[in-house]
Amino acid sequence: MAAPLRALVLGGTGYIGPHVVEALLAAGHTVTLFNRGQTRPGLFPGVERLQGDRNRPDGHAALAGRTWDVVYDLPTGTPSWIVNAAAVLKGRVGQYLFISSTAAYKDFTAPFPTEQSPAQDPAPMEATDADRSTYGPRKVRCEQLVRAAYDDAAAGSVATVLRCGLIVGPGDLTDRFTYWPVRIERGGEILAPGRPEDPAQWIDVRDLAAWMVRLGERRTGGTFNTVGPRTVCGIGELLYGTAACFSNDARFTWVPQPFLAEQKVRSWGDMPVWSHTGAATLAFCTSVIDAARAAGLTFRPLADTVRDALAWYHQRPAEEQARLRAGMSPERERALLAAWHATR
Amino acid sequence: MSPTRRGFLKASALLAGAVGAGGVPRVAQALGASRPETGTPRPAGLRILILGGTGFIGPTQVPYALARGHQVTLFNRGRTNADLFPGVPRLVGDRNVPGGHDALKGTTWDVVIDNPTTNPRWVRDAGQALAGRVGQYLFVSTISVFRDYSAVGIAEDGPLHAPAPMEGEFDRAAAQYGPNKVRSEQEAVAQFGASRVTIVRPGLIVGAGDLSDRFSYWPVRIDKGGEVLAPGTPDDPTQYVDARDLGEWIVRLAEGKVTGTFNATGPKTPTTMAQLLYGIKAVTSSDATFTWVPADFLAAQQVRPWSEMPVWAPPQGGMAGFMRINCQKAYAAGLTFRPLADTARDTLTWYHQRPAAEQEKARAGLAPEKEKAVLAAWRAQAGR
Repeated sequence: MAAPLRALVLGGTGYIGPHVVEALLAAGHTVTLFNRGQTRPGLFPGVERLQGDRNRPDGHAALAGRTWDVVYDLPTGTPSWIVNAAAVLKGRVGQYLFISSTAAYKDFTAPFPTEQSPAQDPAPMEATDADRSTYGPRKVRCEQLVRAAYDDAAAGSVATVLRCGLIVGPGDLTDRFTYWPVRIERGGEILAPGRPEDPAQWIDVRDLAAWMVRLGERRTGGTFNTVGPRTVCGIGELLYGTAACFSNDARFTWVPQPFLAEQKVRSWGDMPVWSHTGAATLAFCTSVIDAARAAGLTFRPLADTVRDALAWYHQRPAEEQARLRAGMSPERERALLAAWHATR
Repeated sequence: MSPTRRGFLKASALLAGAVGAGGVPRVAQALGASRPETGTPRPAGLRILILGGTGFIGPTQVPYALARGHQVTLFNRGRTNADLFPGVPRLVGDRNVPGGHDALKGTTWDVVIDNPTTNPRWVRDAGQALAGRVGQYLFVSTISVFRDYSAVGIAEDGPLHAPAPMEGEFDRAAAQYGPNKVRSEQEAVAQFGASRVTIVRPGLIVGAGDLSDRFSYWPVRIDKGGEVLAPGTPDDPTQYVDARDLGEWIVRLAEGKVTGTFNATGPKTPTTMAQLLYGIKAVTSSDATFTWVPADFLAAQQVRPWSEMPVWAPPQGGMAGFMRINCQKAYAAGLTFRPLADTARDTLTWYHQRPAAEQEKARAGLAPEKEKAVLAAWRAQAGR
C-alpha cells in the first residue's frame, strides 16, 4: 500500500460520512473531521475533529494553514459552502471529492444518462438548500465551483465529482430501498410495480465508501455516475433477489404501470427504486456507469445489502419502524391489489 | 410448442434416473449441526439406525439427530467417507451380497432411515434381518415413481410406474429407476407393515455435497457471469429441496412417529425460474445477465431440459406437472425451507472447495461452447 493518506472529511457524521470514515481508518489512513460538532459529537472519539459553521464566510477558519491529500465533501448542496471552503483549502489539497447527484442531469425522463449528458443550468451562487426544487441546479453549480478550484494539474490537484443514484444500506433514513426488504420479509401478496424488467438502480453505501477511499488512494479525478448494480437491472432482479433472502409466503403481483398511474401511484416515492418509460425518475434508474466501473467501483452481493439494511432497520425505535418514509402503507397496498384484481 | 409424444417419452426416460437420493461419495465436512427447529415434540434418545449415512442426505441427518439428543448408528460398507463421524457407532455390511445385512441381526431400533436404496432387494433383506425389531422405517423414495407428469399438482395418490420385478438380476438402468423405487416402497410396507412405514418422495435434492451438479450448475454459471442462457420464460415453475431441509425433516418425522407417504419438494411458496436465477445472482457480485430462450427453440437446438437446463422442464405437454408436484401434505407435516440465498451461497462455497478437476467437469448443465452457440442462434433468429 502507498503511504497513508491525510484525509479531511467535511460533515462525516450523517449517513455516508461514518461509512467513509470507517473505510478510511480501516485502510490505515489519517482522518480529520470538520463540522459544527452538533450531530453525533461522540462518534469516532479518537479522530481529530475541527469545528466550524460552513454558512459563515469565515466558518472554515479552523482549516486554515493545514494541508490534506484528499478532502471528502459529503453534505454540500449550497454553492457558498464550496466557495468558503476553497478560500482556505485551495492550493493546499491534492484532491477534492464532491458528492453530487444524478439530479445534476437536465432531463430526468431521458434514459441512460452518461457523464456527457446535458446538465441542469446552474443555480445562482446565493441559492441555498432551503429550496428543495433547486437541488439539481445547486449540485451543478457546486460541481463547477469544485472543478474551478481544484481541477488544476499545475498545482497538482484534482477534482472528483460523483453523481450518485440511490444510496442504500445501513443508516439510510429515507427508507426507499429498505421498503422492499421490510415489505418482502412481511410476506403475503406484494404489489410489484410495472414489469420485472422496468429499470432499477441503487448502490450500497459501503461500496460507495470503499470506492471513495480507492479514488483517494489513486488520486483519480473526473466526473462519474455512481450507482449500481454492476449490470443493467430490472426491478424484478431486486425483488426476486430480496425474496431469496427469506423463506416465507411472499409472492409478487405485477401491476401494469398505466393502472398504477390511474391510481396515483408514483414511481420512486410510492414504489421505491422503480422507474419506467416516461417517468420523471428514469435517469435515476438507468445511469451509465462504465466510467465508474473502469475506475474501480465494485458491488457487494445484493443479499448482503438486504441482510444488513434489514438488521439496521430492526434496531431502530419501534415507532420509526412502524412509519417508513417511503413506499406504501399496507392498507393502500391491499386496496390497490383489490382494485387491480377487480379489473381482471 | 408442446413436446411431441416421442419427445416426452425421451424426456421421461431421461428423467427416470434423474430424481432422487442416489448415494454420492464425498461430502463437505462443513455440514455442521443445524439450528434446531421448534414446534415439533422431541422425544429424547431415539435409537436411530441410518442405512448409508455418509453420502449426500445422511450427513445432514447425523449431526442434527445427535444435537437433538438421539443415539445414532450407521450401517454401510465403510467405504464412502469412512472418516466422517468418527464418534458415531458403525455397523458394516455390503447390501449387495448375500448375508450383507447380517450385522443388523438381533439389533433393535426405534427408527431406521433408509437413504440410499433403489434396489428393492435391499429393502427385503434389511426387513428380514431386522424382523419385527423396528419401530419405524423411513424410506427415501423419489417423485420419479410417478408415471405421468402431464398433470399439474400430482399428489401422493398419483398414478405410479408398474413396480420392477424382484426376480432376476437388479436392473440399474435409468429407465428402471422409478419402477425400482415403486417396488422398494411396496417392499417396505410388506416387510415392516404400513403402520410403521414412512415414504418420503423428494424432488431434486440440492445443496452442498450434491455431486450431480444439477442445481449447482446455476450458482456456478451465474457466478461466472456474462450472458447466461435461461430456459423458457421467467415465469416457468421450478421445484427443489435443500438436502438439509429434507434430511432434518426426516429426523423430525421420526420424532413425531409420523407415517405415511409424502411428496417432498419445494419451496412451499410456488417459485419461478426468474426467482431462482435472480435469487442465486443475489448472493454473487457477478455481471450475469439472463437471455430467456423459449422452450421450443431450445428443443430445436437439442438442448435437453433437466440435464442441460437443470431444475427446469417445459411447463407444457408431457412435463407440465413435473415442477408442480403437490407437496401440501409434507408442508402440513412440518417440511420447511431455508432461504434460497443460503442454499445458493453454501452450494457455491462447497463447489469451490472441490478439487479443480471436479470443478471443471460438471456432470450437468450446458457446456460453455454449446451455450454460446445456442445464444448466437437465438439472436440470429430473433434478429437481435
